[in-house]
Amino acid sequence: MRFDVVIIGGGLAGMTAATELQRSGLRCAVVAEGLSLNNVSRKEFKAAGGTLLQGDKVTGGVIKDGRLLCVNTQKLGDVVLEADSFILATGKYFSRGLVADMDKVYEPLFGLDVDYDPDRSTWFDRSFAAPQKFLEFGVNTQDGAALKDGEPIVNLYPVGEVLKGISSAGSDASRAILDSAEAAVQAIKGRN
Amino acid sequence: MQEKNISANNFEQCQKCSLCETVCPVMANNPDYGGPKRSGPDGERYRLKNGIFFDDSLKYCLNCKRCEVACPSGVRIADLIQQARIDFNKKSPKLRDMMLASTDQMGPLASTFAPIVNFSLGLGPVKSVLDATIGIDRHRTMPKYASKTFVHWFKKNAAAAQDGFKKHISYFHGCYANYNYPQLAKDFVAVMNAFGYGVHLMDGERCCGVAKIANGMIPAATRDAKINMGAFRKSIAEGRDIVTVSTTCTMTLLEEYPELLKVDNDDVKNHVSLVEQFLYKAIASGEVKPVWKEGWKARAAYHCPCHQERLGLGIFTTELLKMIPGMELTELESNCCGIAGTYGFKKENYAVSQKIGKPLFDDIKAAAPEFVACECETCKWQIEMSTGVPVKNPVSILAEALDLEKTSELNRP
Repeated sequence: MRFDVVIIGGGLAGMTAATELQRSGLRCAVVAEGLSLNNVSRKEFKAAGGTLLQGDKVTGGVIKDGRLLCVNTQKLGDVVLEADSFILATGKYFSRGLVADMDKVYEPLFGLDVDYDPDRSTWFDRSFAAPQKFLEFGVNTQDGAALKDGEPIVNLYPVGEVLKGISSAGSDASRAILDSAEAAVQAIKGRN
Repeated sequence: MQEKNISANNFEQCQKCSLCETVCPVMANNPDYGGPKRSGPDGERYRLKNGIFFDDSLKYCLNCKRCEVACPSGVRIADLIQQARIDFNKKSPKLRDMMLASTDQMGPLASTFAPIVNFSLGLGPVKSVLDATIGIDRHRTMPKYASKTFVHWFKKNAAAAQDGFKKHISYFHGCYANYNYPQLAKDFVAVMNAFGYGVHLMDGERCCGVAKIANGMIPAATRDAKINMGAFRKSIAEGRDIVTVSTTCTMTLLEEYPELLKVDNDDVKNHVSLVEQFLYKAIASGEVKPVWKEGWKARAAYHCPCHQERLGLGIFTTELLKMIPGMELTELESNCCGIAGTYGFKKENYAVSQKIGKPLFDDIKAAAPEFVACECETCKWQIEMSTGVPVKNPVSILAEALDLEKTSELNRP
């Protein structure tokens, strides 16, 4: 199944980017595992003609020559979602956009480069109210595109909390999340 | 004493985020129901200790599975609730519940006397008697029975021609298409034949069992499930995959059999498709080619039934319908229609059932489409009764919009 843009994740960042891209005339599909998106953004996206795969889950994809060609989902079986551009909006730990092991933090879908300190003792501060370093970990990018083994995947744009340096704990968190979504929207519009 | 200590439905993953509660259609309308989180993963912690913690209010669960779609942690909440009802509810089903649930026993009986049954079930006094005696709500419009079943029609009029095709599939028609609405099954045969597929019925097909599960008739449902899986395996061995039309039957065959009835279907699963999924894939891959009627036009609104939402295959329906030139399709906000199979027929549930459906009915009235497109048979009853807007199955829409003659010429081997 072919779309202009496939958005992985239906939270604040994913839905905002998806709705704006759909309104600009690009054909978008959002794969939203769980109902983490709110009613208003879901309605607006569908009203704009967007395709929502609710309760489905991206399980992996095919990367070739620095491009993500398609993604597989749990429910669609052998039917893949192809697109020119992809947005990764899978969030941090709660939504499993990032996974923390005892000795590493990784991005489970594509194995993207995650910026984290190998010394686990620095990840957190025992004082509950202190800034927590693990919340700053996230996917590395180059010109907005995700990095894997140091090389960019040129059509895969991480947005929101999955990104390095964006944390929902910050005082201007939602601003940073929306700014990252907007940057991806502009980059994708520029490509099309 | 801890009776069990391993959970099959991963309730330990529940993070108490309560998203399931925000989408539960019953919780919003029936204060007697504790909601999916409390009835599912929370209650399970107690029930694992001891069955006395089983709460009778679990019967209010519609099994619409919206909680499972919403859960960000993949907890099989509705399965936990159904499983608890199976394990701990020792009350035997009432006569009414057995009648409503035994679609494949009541079907032949009602079809034989269809004119009398349809006529009487439409009468006010009869409805009042059913309401007062066995508790089928008097406000409910009862489904009509066909005097000739689909299987009867098929054997007489269509079966002989099927071997003449090059490609073949088996059709799981289900009780509804057979006893209540044979036209849907006839449309299915017409469409599949036009695309060059011979349609075959499976000997000994039984009811999928969804209504029996909902009404606590587990041994009967398990027996039917095993017979169905046997029939499916035989069909697959003969090189024929199974195509289904009912989303609820499909969800039951694919998900409830292994989860609730413990009937294994691992080897069968990948050979079962919903008709919209099957046709979308066939058209998209170029395997078959549709020829659409010139000048056919319709303005429809798509309602995604709860069990389709759970299956996650609704995208095939919308993409397939969007292929039709002249189809103006809007997608309705995903809401439960409230009938939930036999649930809405019960006197104690009628009011809640209509309340649950109200947001959907309001949306439909606001969209004012020519018809609602929907895969589910009981949604059709509920929406037609409550809004007056006709509901068409996507298969029947295809049968209308396709130029069947030209399509079959093009796809003839």
